[in-house]
Amino acid sequence: MEAIIKADRLSKDYKIYKDHKGYLGALRNLFDRRFTLVHAVNDVSFKIYPGELIGYIGPNGAGKSTTIKMLTGLLVPTSGEVQVNGFVPWKDRKDYVKHIGAVFGQRTTLWWDLPVRDSLDLLKHIYEIPSDRFKQNLNSFREILELDSFMDTPVRSLSLGQRMRADLCAALLHDPKLIFLDEPTIGLDVVAKQRVREFIQFINAKRGTTILLTTHDTADIAKLCKRVMIIDHGKILYDGEFDELIKYYGGSRVLSVEFAEFYQYPTIDQAKIVQRDGVNVIYSFKRENISASKLIHQLSEKYRIRDLEVQDQAIEDVIRDIYENQLLYN
Amino acid sequence: MNAFFATIHTSFRRQLTYRAANLSGLFTNLMFGFFRAAVLIALYQEQTSVNGLSIRGAITYAGLTQSLIGVMSFFHWYDLMHTVYDGRVGADLLRPINYFSYWLGIDIGRAFGSLIIRGLPLFLVFSFFYNIILPESLIQWSLFALSIVFALLISFSWRFLVNLASFWTPNALGIGRFAFGLSWIFSGFYFPLALFPDWLANFCRLTPFGASLYFPIQVFIGNIRGAELLQGFLIQIFWIVTLVIFGHIILAQGVKKLVIQGG
Amino acid sequence: MRRNLSLLFRLLRIQIRSQLQYPASFVMEVLSQAMILGFFFAAFALTLSQFGDIGGWTLGEVALLWGLAEFSFGMMDMVFSGFDYDAFGPLVIKGTFDQLLLRPVNITLQVLGSRFVLRRLGKIIEGLIIFIIGLSLSNVDWTLGRILYIPVLILCQVLFFGSLFIFGATTTFWTKERLEILNVFTYGGSEIMSYPMHIFPRAIRLLFSFVVPAIFLSYFPMIYILDKPNPLNMPVFTSFLAPFIAISMFWLSLKFWRFGIKNYQSTGS
Ligand SMILES: Nc1ncnc2c1ncn2[C@@H]1O[C@H](COP(=O)(O)OP(=O)(O)OP(=O)(O)O)[C@@H](O)[C@H]1O
Ligand SMILES: [Mg+2]
Repeated sequence: MEAIIKADRLSKDYKIYKDHKGYLGALRNLFDRRFTLVHAVNDVSFKIYPGELIGYIGPNGAGKSTTIKMLTGLLVPTSGEVQVNGFVPWKDRKDYVKHIGAVFGQRTTLWWDLPVRDSLDLLKHIYEIPSDRFKQNLNSFREILELDSFMDTPVRSLSLGQRMRADLCAALLHDPKLIFLDEPTIGLDVVAKQRVREFIQFINAKRGTTILLTTHDTADIAKLCKRVMIIDHGKILYDGEFDELIKYYGGSRVLSVEFAEFYQYPTIDQAKIVQRDGVNVIYSFKRENISASKLIHQLSEKYRIRDLEVQDQAIEDVIRDIYENQLLYN
Repeated sequence: MNAFFATIHTSFRRQLTYRAANLSGLFTNLMFGFFRAAVLIALYQEQTSVNGLSIRGAITYAGLTQSLIGVMSFFHWYDLMHTVYDGRVGADLLRPINYFSYWLGIDIGRAFGSLIIRGLPLFLVFSFFYNIILPESLIQWSLFALSIVFALLISFSWRFLVNLASFWTPNALGIGRFAFGLSWIFSGFYFPLALFPDWLANFCRLTPFGASLYFPIQVFIGNIRGAELLQGFLIQIFWIVTLVIFGHIILAQGVKKLVIQGG
Repeated sequence: MRRNLSLLFRLLRIQIRSQLQYPASFVMEVLSQAMILGFFFAAFALTLSQFGDIGGWTLGEVALLWGLAEFSFGMMDMVFSGFDYDAFGPLVIKGTFDQLLLRPVNITLQVLGSRFVLRRLGKIIEGLIIFIIGLSLSNVDWTLGRILYIPVLILCQVLFFGSLFIFGATTTFWTKERLEILNVFTYGGSEIMSYPMHIFPRAIRLLFSFVVPAIFLSYFPMIYILDKPNPLNMPVFTSFLAPFIAISMFWLSLKFWRFGIKNYQSTGS
């Protein structure tokens, strides 16, 4: 299958200007400006295939939004090549954007003063969506996203969650082949998040729309994406299956035990006691070193157990561990 | 009182940081000063004095109005309105300082900053190009300074009052445009009021707008003396008292309304 | 083209509808704007009455210059509202401009359709009234050429001011804020054009002849219409350069606009 997004050694540098100080400095700034370069995206290559739903994650300032801006044609790369859906995004802007959709969680595509309905109707004309297609799409999205209660409310008076749902609808009315979602769940409550996730899943599964999603909520990724790309300091550090990542780096697991009697030293090989409170003891162990069943077996041979529970390390903690300890750098 | 001076200080410092904006504003006002001066020179031709206003006085007038625009911020000030519309007003009302004084402090700081990096340099440059009139005595300088302080108080109280409209309507910008249009008309900003027919000039002098632009300029170029001078100051004081009292009354109503209806 | 126009009108209709939501207050605002702006001319007329003429031009003659400039500027300010650099800078900073770039429609057209300030009618009305006053106070020897040149001039001035707005809006790609200095050429330009320009010092005249060629759009053409002597001793054809200058300026401003967008796409907001 042919890749729908091809990024080849993509880089983007920003110039950060430093102003001269003082009143005369303001004059001098006009002619002589000093700057430093920020390598926001640094030599990044990847391919994305039709129908994929990919999570693009990384800490703040990693370069996610910059990548998305290049993919959507808003920014011209400093170097490298990008081809999306057969177009070079920034070159063939008008033709290219007909086939994509984009939602930026921080801002809206809709008209601030217009009711949602009018905004959507305007998009119909802008994208030249055939009437029957428009009606079909609108009806089905209205239902899933539950837009009906605020169809006639001006966008400026919508809550964040309502606005995001309206924006998602707006981004998909013209049946784009692929959509870019930059933090679509930012600031939403649990219920709204769930609704947005279901919608993303629906679009990807039922329509085969390719989706590139950035988020800071690991649960989004865990629920939606098979493949993730992790970027930090402008470099892609990981590109592969999400489960693999968690399996590999989230190796440590937790075993909580309630013993039937008190033991002075309830030790066991290959597991560490991390917490202890009377008969309640918590062990941590590595998947590579020992399996859970073996550990439980060994424990129950030496001690009398009343109750126990095995847990994986929370996904969020795994990701934080990766970011903080830079586990992906070799 | 301490909070008041702290507000002035902060606002002053902030004003000084807008260097590029101030520089560009300075140049703009200077150019407009040149335009107006050229028109006045073309009007005067050989005449040296009309209605008691000399050509030198008229040119000084053109330079001085442009130097004072930024300081008095006469025709464009919607800062308070914006805080009402974006909700910052809530935090401001909770400050342990009188709301009027709070904004007055901000405005004094702004005005002073603007005077130093925009008004004064502009007038200095302007005076290189034209043979202008300067106050002749220390007393005249002091009277001018006093009239400017009073003028700022009038100008601020007027702008404060106009901005308060935003407590009632989401459309106060339109009211502002009209109200600032009035200051535009009656302040003598376009052409020296002395060149108008007497009835109109006298009327403008009585308004808060004439009192805060035309009067200080008259003091500066020294064509007002004795009883008339005293009268001018009395008019200024009248407007300060009236507008401040009125501002506080309206403010109290507005706050009540804001509290009851939650904005 | 047809599609673009119909889309533009659709966008504009939305703007107009929302501005006419409260018709009474809208009319009030338009009229008060016309009055406030008109007062500047009234102040000039009162002042001029103390002197008689300015640079050899009578009140009626100046009123023709003045009304034309106000009318055209008002028209332009309404049609090119989207390019008003006061409003365009914030649009770029807030990322709204990015949203426009994501739509499959010509970007210039979208900016045009993004704002339409109907209350500029106040300035248009004011300009018209002053122009009519000018007509009644001055003795123009109306030939067919002179009559036809008036609408041409209006169109030229609209394009001319429009190009200044486009230049101004484009600079905000770099500055990210409104630059007051641009007012010297836009509002200042229209003020300069309201007077017989030989009254200004040489430096100002040169600035408004060669950097921002305002002189070719009001003063020189009006010399032809009023059949006035030209104290600057310019050849007669300078009265007829307006269309050429206006179209070139407009073309240049669109080039610069394109260049600005290119640059914006390579530096980001
Ligand atoms: N317009 C710009 N000019 C200069 N530097 C910029 C610009 N936009 C982004 N940057 C810088 O580029 C780097 C990458 O920013 P980017 O917005 O792509 O990060 P991100 O991964 O989307 O972060 P976040 O999770 O916080 O949204 C950061 O260091 C940022 O400060
Ligand atoms: Mg981002």
